[in-house]
Amino acid sequence: MRITVPHCGQMDIFINALSRRIGPEFVIPPKTSPRTLDLGLKYSPESTCLPFKFILGNFIEALEKGADTICMITDRGPCRVGMYDIVMENILREMGYRFNWITLDNTQILRTYLLKFDRERRKRGVSLTDALRSLHFAWKKMKLCEEMERWTHKMRPYEVNRGETTRVHSECLRLLDGVATLKELKAARSDVVSRLSNIQQDRTRHPLKMVITGEGYVVINPHANQDIERRLGEMGVEVTRTMWFTSQIAHAMRVDLFNKRSKSKAIRASKWYLPHNIGGECNASVGYAILSAREGYDGVIQLLPFGCILESVAKNILRMVSRDYDIPILTFSLTENLSETTIVTRLSAFVDLIQRRRKTRDT
Amino acid sequence: MRSVHVGIPRALLYYRYFPLWNTFFRELGAKVIVSRPSTRSVLEDGFNYADDDVCIPIKMIFGHVLDIKDKVDYLFIPRLLSDNKRGYCCPRLAGLPEMIKYSVPGLPPMLDPFVDERYRATRLSGALSKAGRTLGCNFLQIRRAYSKAREQHDQFQRRMRDGESVLDLTAAFERDGFFPHQPLTEKEEGGSVRIGVIGHPYSLYDALLNFDLFKRLKEAKASVFTQEGVPQHTIDLQVQQVKKDIYWTLGREILGAAFHFLDSKVADGLIYVTCFNCGIDSMIEPLVNFRTKRMASPYMALMIDEHTGIGGLVTRLEAFLDTVRRRKCNSVDERRRS
Repeated sequence: MRITVPHCGQMDIFINALSRRIGPEFVIPPKTSPRTLDLGLKYSPESTCLPFKFILGNFIEALEKGADTICMITDRGPCRVGMYDIVMENILREMGYRFNWITLDNTQILRTYLLKFDRERRKRGVSLTDALRSLHFAWKKMKLCEEMERWTHKMRPYEVNRGETTRVHSECLRLLDGVATLKELKAARSDVVSRLSNIQQDRTRHPLKMVITGEGYVVINPHANQDIERRLGEMGVEVTRTMWFTSQIAHAMRVDLFNKRSKSKAIRASKWYLPHNIGGECNASVGYAILSAREGYDGVIQLLPFGCILESVAKNILRMVSRDYDIPILTFSLTENLSETTIVTRLSAFVDLIQRRRKTRDT
Repeated sequence: MRSVHVGIPRALLYYRYFPLWNTFFRELGAKVIVSRPSTRSVLEDGFNYADDDVCIPIKMIFGHVLDIKDKVDYLFIPRLLSDNKRGYCCPRLAGLPEMIKYSVPGLPPMLDPFVDERYRATRLSGALSKAGRTLGCNFLQIRRAYSKAREQHDQFQRRMRDGESVLDLTAAFERDGFFPHQPLTEKEEGGSVRIGVIGHPYSLYDALLNFDLFKRLKEAKASVFTQEGVPQHTIDLQVQQVKKDIYWTLGREILGAAFHFLDSKVADGLIYVTCFNCGIDSMIEPLVNFRTKRMASPYMALMIDEHTGIGGLVTRLEAFLDTVRRRKCNSVDERRRS
């Protein structure tokens, strides 16, 4: 059983940690590259959304690498992601690949585990406590990676040498790669902190603060949003990302009650504009925009894959939020044809606009 | 006293629920005003206000709203999250009142009952009665109006299932306020080819988006089968072939009908009318496509967007009908030979 999963945020770190300690062999698809997108584009129906194309590309590359079981996490909501699995399975079978397909539905995780993975665990002689312990470790490791990324978002606008934070960050990720126990993780954490704090910073700067919100996949994955966080950071903007892989999972498992910036809080905040929860991230992205306006951020960037059913509703409403709360909102509709230049031009124009706005407000 | 005017745009779920809505508001003493049939100019009006990320039927409803907004006291745009015990409608429909409210200036007050059939508190009857109370009617009037409306709706659904055309039915209902006793459309069994037509009702029956598909098929002497004519239990049965429960009510209906047409050999060929940027069709269409490929039956997916010219579509339609005819002749010949 050689399982593969699509790339989504820091999930590959989670899976790597898990597989090294207990188990079933995982085939991590190669890092998402232009080739991945090309493969996805070639075989997916034309009017599907961007995440579909990336994920299909991931699967094709993983199957080329020798995976024989595909594990896909889906939903039962009104969003199309719930139908990804049957459409993809059909496409891949049509292409002539042979594989097992496992759908991890968020309402049936336990059942799927018992049916599909439990025998595998017993065959390998891994005890249940061991499995749970390594699950805990993998989660912690992933959390640390996300925390690290959050720090880099905060530090990048202050860095003196452009690009240093990105370099140190990738160094730290490599350092974390070898970590295999909780003890080592603790040591690695302090190491990472000291490395990051050694970056030369200019604390006299007064960077703009912006929030990135929108559809989950394109917000979480730098390959889907053309690395928008790094670009903004290097333009001198302190970025706050609203969605993380762990926070999405935590919301799905209903364990994010105490999170300061939780999705449920955002959904509550959007009540005035959208009295009913439509599903997906529609309410949340409206809510995050409202929350960040209240917290005094300078701007909001909404990311959506072109044609997203839910975010297109949010996009219309955000126009009104922008007017009511007096906060600039920029919407990026991401397609596979969006060039780097477009993104950079639009972003720098947006940043300029907000800087001027701040100047006029200060005087 | 002048009666209250309630405006219903001729778009989206109009083609599913018009008899119900119309009867309900008429029984409550309101005058129902329906927008003009879609034309190019209606659609272009919609473009000016609608967002560029949404599909054409939504842009179309913007145009229809602009058409009637000055003539009515209330605009009726239901917020339909789910019209079935275990399914969703398109999520864009659930956010539709907001999309319109925040984009179009100078709107009359809106009646936007929230319908979610999965829960008892938000059923269609309850949601409509809230709308009725806004119009200032009492419980009894609403109750009576709803039961009459439901009757009409049931009749509408029954007659659709018997094979009467949705377009004829809604047109007759709009003209007279009731359905005529005798069947409107003759069941045409004698057509040279039988074509199954599937798609979302709002793209299939819209006067602009369907480019007179039904008329053209009739002229070509083809008998048409639509998904409305397929009984619910057949759809339920057919959909089980897919490993997963299809949670979009309309998508489920389309897929079930398509599988039924293919399996039972009711139709010689299948036409799928879909709109550019429709999220549901982008997932359902591939499934139908795979199935037709596996069964090697003629299939055509017509994707319509705002730039689609009629000429190209008509040529494709003619070519498709020719293919279906030739295949039919060939298979008859083979059967004779063997």
